[in-house]
Amino acid sequence: MPQDDMGKPSMVTCTAPVNIAVIKYWGKRHEELILPINSSLSVTLHQDQLKTTTTVASSRSFLEDRIWLNGKEEDISHPRLQSCLREIRRLARKRHSDGDPSVDVTGLSHKVHICSVNNFPTAAGLASSAAGFACLVFTLARVYGVEGELSGIARQGSGSACRSMHGGFVQWIMGHQEDGKDSLAQQVEPETHWPELRVLVLVASVERKPIGSTSGMQTSVQTSCLLKHRADSVVPGRMEEMIEAVHRKDFSTFAELTMKDSNQFHATCLDTYPPIFYLNNVSHQVISLVHQYNSHYKETRVAYTFDAGPNAVIYTLQEHVTEFVQVVSHFFPPETNGGQFLKGLPVDHAVLSEELKQAIGIEPMPKGIRYIISTKVHSLSLGKHGIHTTQ
Amino acid sequence: MPQDDMGKPSMVTCTAPVNIAVIKYWGKRHEELILPINSSLSVTLHQDQLKTTTTVASSRSFLEDRIWLNGKEEDISHPRLQSCLREIRRLARKRHSDGDPSVDVTGLSHKVHICSVNNFPTAAGLASSAAGFACLVFTLARVYGVEGELSGIARQGSGSACRSMHGGFVQWIMGHQEDGKDSLAQQVEPETHWPELRVLVLVASVERKPIGSTSGMQTSVQTSCLLKHRADSVVPGRMEEMIEAVHRKDFSTFAELTMKDSNQFHATCLDTYPPIFYLNNVSHQVISLVHQYNSHYKETRVAYTFDAGPNAVIYTLQEHVTEFVQVVSHFFPPETNGGQFLKGLPVDHAVLSEELKQAIGIEPMPKGIRYIISTKAGPGPCVVEDQSQHLLGPDGLPKKNV
Repeated sequence: MPQDDMGKPSMVTCTAPVNIAVIKYWGKRHEELILPINSSLSVTLHQDQLKTTTTVASSRSFLEDRIWLNGKEEDISHPRLQSCLREIRRLARKRHSDGDPSVDVTGLSHKVHICSVNNFPTAAGLASSAAGFACLVFTLARVYGVEGELSGIARQGSGSACRSMHGGFVQWIMGHQEDGKDSLAQQVEPETHWPELRVLVLVASVERKPIGSTSGMQTSVQTSCLLKHRADSVVPGRMEEMIEAVHRKDFSTFAELTMKDSNQFHATCLDTYPPIFYLNNVSHQVISLVHQYNSHYKETRVAYTFDAGPNAVIYTLQEHVTEFVQVVSHFFPPETNGGQFLKGLPVDHAVLSEELKQAIGIEPMPKGIRYIISTKVHSLSLGKHGIHTTQ
Repeated sequence: MPQDDMGKPSMVTCTAPVNIAVIKYWGKRHEELILPINSSLSVTLHQDQLKTTTTVASSRSFLEDRIWLNGKEEDISHPRLQSCLREIRRLARKRHSDGDPSVDVTGLSHKVHICSVNNFPTAAGLASSAAGFACLVFTLARVYGVEGELSGIARQGSGSACRSMHGGFVQWIMGHQEDGKDSLAQQVEPETHWPELRVLVLVASVERKPIGSTSGMQTSVQTSCLLKHRADSVVPGRMEEMIEAVHRKDFSTFAELTMKDSNQFHATCLDTYPPIFYLNNVSHQVISLVHQYNSHYKETRVAYTFDAGPNAVIYTLQEHVTEFVQVVSHFFPPETNGGQFLKGLPVDHAVLSEELKQAIGIEPMPKGIRYIISTKAGPGPCVVEDQSQHLLGPDGLPKKNV
């Protein structure tokens, strides 16, 4: 572990991935511990396209904890940041008193400087808090020499951050204990399990800022009876079905459940009072596009999912990427001088048949989508963690 | 009752109202009999602003039943039309054999010509099937001399038509019998009960044609588990609360339940697979507008409700109409040369304070709303006594000016 060497700060840098839920988390049963009302399941995305990088420096000469996010110093006293710092330090102290030799107990008393950046624009609304808190917790753990289960701490920074502590297909088990110790993330299948799965992030044009998810889900829990029914009676069965579909690499079932769960999440937002709208007319068009496309081929080739914002995430199989990217470009023609429309993994050009264009038959929506990020499930050649460490 | 006089057709003309549900009907437990999965409640709108007029002519010289809707001859063999014709004739025959002297049993064997028009444009998507079928059934009943409970027959033409058989505040009791005989509409309070209540219909700009409600609700019943929960566990309690709010003229509760139920209906549409979107970005803006407006005044002054289409129906109290109409005009500025923006009951002009405009703070959406119809609660179907108002001529064909 890094040693403090004559006043020079010891430093660790790690990266962590973004994850996109296919069975959604929306609503807490405990605000402070961030315990959810239902379990959730996500796919961890590849860090080549989307990641957070965090450096933590620890030194006895630092006067206070400080944090910089994407170049700007932020308020370290934010409760969620404090939760993570407090919990990782508490865990480190506990491990040390349990006799764990790897804990850097001297370093525990030092203040830390934290610096974090994303390799994707924050304005894209790409749910960077999951990657951000996962990275923070993982890096702090490395600094303090803490090993083992960390998702419970990441969870206290941001619920979905616990799912970014693993690669591949990850479930966040809701747990039942009051103290939340059993509310943890667990890998369902590693990233190597389904190499054909592909992800396209359709970054929407920026409109008004949507309602933040913390307050949004609070209002939903307080006012939507449909949400309660979802959490109690629908999600448990869907989690089982989805895990089974992932194990069997059954794309059709995976895709249908993904779309239904996205829609049901947004349905509970509409059943909130006052209602919350995250889907806009571009989102509706993407949804129509996917249903028309699947209908034309008489099979579920493509699935959409939307979080608490306008970006669409498309799941598909490698064999359909080329054509579907072309379909998106055709029906959401980009700015001609707007820069690169397709980022990430390279995608070949394709020519769409007139038959396909007519079968889809929706009205083109110029500039509805700013750009597409083509990516896949996070894969790491070594270890089972979703996270890299560099010294 | 009208007598057939030397081959001249006997003719009856009636009018019937539109109704707007505040607790929504969406989903059938029986397709053909049109039995719903939950009860619903509506407000019947005043016929001065919105109504269907139907003339039924009956004559032994007619060779077949025929129907004209808004000037165009339509297919009389449509199952829903046949249901209404068949059921009203069956009921008439039954009443006759039960000894009811008012039934015109001779006329029962004659064919009918039916002509129906709305005093509002069909393209406005204003759920005219309710008014249309209610009017048809009411008029046929008059022709055949059938009295009493008719909502069950109207229901078989179009579910929500049963609620247009009464004025004021009407509930459609879902019923439990297999044969649907207990699935009927009943008046909760007459139109005179709450004179301060006002209704504004915000007619949206026409976009693409939304998915029809018959097939839409079928898909919802088949695919949405949230809908089942709504019908079984949410609506019964809401119906009780709503009826109580109507009795007490508790606008705040009435309004909040109305908005919640509209949103929940649309939530179940979104939970349908494939999902159904009736609310568009104009609808979202209207919803934001209402919540901001109510929030500014710290009370629920205005409520919105949306059916299976983009038109917004606003419920409010008379004292707020002037200002709210001005608010709508400000945030949805109309075409400057687009004709009359405000129709129906007259509304005074108002000047909005800067404070109010800023408190609402949404982005104006020019031409998002085509026009506003200002109206109120109104009576049920009625007979038009004035013989010159018949839509059919003595030859049994639509008059030229129809």
